[in-house]
Amino acid sequence: MKLPIEWLNEFYKQDLDPGKIVEKLTLSGLECEVTTHQKRPVLDFSLTPNRADCFSVKGILQELSAVGKKPIKALQTPSSEIHHKDIVPVEIKSYKDCPVFITRVIKNYDRKVKSPKWLQERLNLCGFKSVNLIVDIANMVMLETGQPLHTYDLDYINSKIIVRRAKNKEALTILDGSQQILDKDYLIIADRDKPLGIAGIMGSLESGISESTSSILLESAYFNPETIMGKARMLNLSSEASLRFERGVDPNIQNHAVERFTQLLNQEAGGENGLSHQSMSKKDKPQNKSIALRKEQIQRILGITIPNKKIKSILLKLDMDVQEKDFGYQGWSITAPSYRFDIKDECDLIEEIARIYGFENIPESQESMNISLGKNTERLDKRDLINNLLCNLGYSEVINYSFVSPSMNTSSNNSSTDVMDLQNPLSIDMSVMRNSLWPGLLSNLVYNIKRQRKDLRLFEVGKVFSSLDKSPHEITVISGLTYGNVNNEQWGQPNNPNDFYNVKGDIQTLLEIFNLKSSVSFKETKHNMLCPGRTASVNLNNKVVGYVGELNPEISDDLKLEFNPILFELNHNALKLSSDLKYAPSKYFPYSRRDLSLILNEDIEVNKVIKLIEAIKIKDLQETIIFDVFKGDKIEKGRKSVSIGLIFQSKSRTLNDDEIDKHMLKINQHLLKKMKIKVR
Amino acid sequence: MTNSLSELNRQAEEDISSCLSLKELDSVRVFYLGKKGKVSLELKSLSKLNPKDRPEFGKKVNEVKKTLQKLIAVKKAELNDKKIKASIDRAGIDVTLPGKTKPIGQIHPLSITLNAIEKIFINAGFIVDDGPEIEDEYHNFTALNIPQNHPARAMHDTFYFDTQYLLRTHTSPIQIRSMEREGVPIRVIAPGKVYRRDSDITHTPMFHQVEGLVIDRNINFTHLKGILHDFINVFFNDDMSLRFRPSYFPFTEPSAEVDLLSKDGQWLEILGCGMVHPNVLDNLGIDNRKYSGYAFGMGVERLTMIKYGINDIRLFFENDLNFLSQFK
Repeated sequence: MKLPIEWLNEFYKQDLDPGKIVEKLTLSGLECEVTTHQKRPVLDFSLTPNRADCFSVKGILQELSAVGKKPIKALQTPSSEIHHKDIVPVEIKSYKDCPVFITRVIKNYDRKVKSPKWLQERLNLCGFKSVNLIVDIANMVMLETGQPLHTYDLDYINSKIIVRRAKNKEALTILDGSQQILDKDYLIIADRDKPLGIAGIMGSLESGISESTSSILLESAYFNPETIMGKARMLNLSSEASLRFERGVDPNIQNHAVERFTQLLNQEAGGENGLSHQSMSKKDKPQNKSIALRKEQIQRILGITIPNKKIKSILLKLDMDVQEKDFGYQGWSITAPSYRFDIKDECDLIEEIARIYGFENIPESQESMNISLGKNTERLDKRDLINNLLCNLGYSEVINYSFVSPSMNTSSNNSSTDVMDLQNPLSIDMSVMRNSLWPGLLSNLVYNIKRQRKDLRLFEVGKVFSSLDKSPHEITVISGLTYGNVNNEQWGQPNNPNDFYNVKGDIQTLLEIFNLKSSVSFKETKHNMLCPGRTASVNLNNKVVGYVGELNPEISDDLKLEFNPILFELNHNALKLSSDLKYAPSKYFPYSRRDLSLILNEDIEVNKVIKLIEAIKIKDLQETIIFDVFKGDKIEKGRKSVSIGLIFQSKSRTLNDDEIDKHMLKINQHLLKKMKIKVR
Repeated sequence: MTNSLSELNRQAEEDISSCLSLKELDSVRVFYLGKKGKVSLELKSLSKLNPKDRPEFGKKVNEVKKTLQKLIAVKKAELNDKKIKASIDRAGIDVTLPGKTKPIGQIHPLSITLNAIEKIFINAGFIVDDGPEIEDEYHNFTALNIPQNHPARAMHDTFYFDTQYLLRTHTSPIQIRSMEREGVPIRVIAPGKVYRRDSDITHTPMFHQVEGLVIDRNINFTHLKGILHDFINVFFNDDMSLRFRPSYFPFTEPSAEVDLLSKDGQWLEILGCGMVHPNVLDNLGIDNRKYSGYAFGMGVERLTMIKYGINDIRLFFENDLNFLSQFK
């Protein structure tokens, strides 16, 4: 809401200092700033939803008064001459929705009169467009009093006004030209045969004031905020009226607004005033109840002792009714003024006291607390471990949006789950929840290649989403991408492109720092984003916890990439800090190494051979090292040469050559028997 | 016999002194002093001598042996020195050539901030919790004293999936989940991603918040002011000026916005906070006559932007390595 300071100045002897006013109001909870419009200072307020009472000059004056700037005069309700007794009958179907409804017929004003310059200027300064005299005056009165007014072309109304809930699928075209289809959740103003407007939100296009209008029905109502709340938003509308009605206007100001409107209209364009026709249900009007305020509770929440006199004076400045009361403890019985919808409980009063007392006057202090040490640091330790390792392996962390384009969300390898679609996305490109981090990493890759980056490694730790049996399911994954060469270009270092094994190695290292090296296995598999034949699942104790592989060349081609990136994904939950590490005492005895050279069919996984050797369960075999895998010239086509180093070491003595020879013989025989592999 | 021994001695001395390498010297040593070397053979020939001549001759052979051993040792030291000197002479390299490096990555600036925030609060006895990013209406709004149709919901520009599920608009629902699970007293912070339907130079549809909640006996507003001021001073590693001004959140009362005085004298809004609203405690079945608490929520992007002087929030999600690599 914008208000020119000159408007407020009308209520003071001396002009207000804009800077000081802004500071005072800001520190009491009305966020505002000074802007200038046509070289005149204007206050621009960002009001919080609880402060509906401040949506007007009247409200701002009340607030200024509370912070010590009492105006010299208050708004006076003018009384207008009555020229005729014509009314439009009003039928209110539910007073609960509409406890106060005041109308007045004003006839035969001079419809040729335009809005005076001062009024147009004032509205402009408030950010309103001048429309015509009637609408301009209604807006001016709303800005002055906080009461939204509505005016109808009297001739358009068929015999009576009915305030009722809309029928199912009842349609009307409203002032902004849009057609709205309503249902019984909406309160409408209608006449005998048609809706005239959506109560508290916007009038219909045809019931409005036109150039030919010279008689109007003025409406000044109080609608139950709960009836109006959220309705404008549901229709994708926002109006100055709905903004105020849904937060609550003063239920006692409707008559004042009618009289003020009449006064201004008469002043500018004459007109014959009818009776103020009031439909009202006292019992449905909100009544601020008295609230018990405990002195001790103020102290408990704010942590300070404010003298009774001070508390009382703050509440009085806020127009509250303050009664000393003996509740058996020290306190007061407080009743808030009718325009303060937000004051319902004791805590609301304590907030009022605190903000007028000044947050800046409440000191800072330290709690005396019982701290329990070391709770829940695991999460942090784990994150540090992952982040540090991946950074040291050359990966840079990225953070991508959790929503992606549906076309990118094809990477899930799990067809039994659904994607989560947003009902109201910002754009189609951000309309579904990601089910993999890879599309994000790939778009980061393309973005950075366009900026002439050549070799890069990226990682992200974040959630992926799916829908399982209609309920959302989210898990955290660690994903990475490498592209280009292993090393930065430099002298004396070979420049090899990253391949599957570089990234697999990174995963192994990551699992090793979580002490999971011995429980991991990699199995060839298929994944719809990865290249067949170069894709593995990562398994921990035979459960799939991730994937690693080369990007499917078709996708690389679509993205116009020079190399195939290597991607990995790991379930974050699969990595757990080992908490039960124990030292195992060990004595040193020298080890002996023997090498095995094998010629295998190309399609035999070397891992099978290793598993076979391990299956013999030779206790002294400590480690196997695959130190060469070779295909080419000297090897028969379709075959490969594999060299394996075997490390023998006993924990209790030095092994002699004979023992090791026996082990080797056993291995050779086993390989021959099980896989028909001859040792070279 | 003696003549041939002295001839052997002379020849050996000559051979030793003409050695040019340690390897050569070693073969000379083997030739004369090895198991089957010349001097050893002389010693073995003792048995063929007349027993009375043996001590005399044996002594002489041993003398030769000792002399040669000594000479070899001296020569060895000399050659070794030479070798080291030569390797030092050849050692010169261009030390200004770049070292051989491996690429190194860095974590995202928002992660740096999140880490810093978490560590500060862990030091103050907080636990760290998290919750789902796809939330239900109850935890995101209703439990936080924001009923259906409440105007405060309009402040949130929520992304919806259906009538029940939405993307959380703040980390405050984690408060509720933590209290449901842990009960009171509680000291918890909850970092995470939040989502609002908004996009411009100061807003991205996804951003990060850290929520904090303390509920205990005797918690009041002065404690809230105290911990937040301490936090800001530690986070910015400086003595910062703060301003608490009244504001509105449905789940706290009194509520405050906290502004930080920037170097150029501007008040910058950095976080929202307040005393936990009694309705929220009621919703969770916590006796508000015994317990009170405070809650706060801070924007991680905002703090990061202020700390590093970043002017466009969208940079965080472009993931341009030229940007990211500045945060090593």
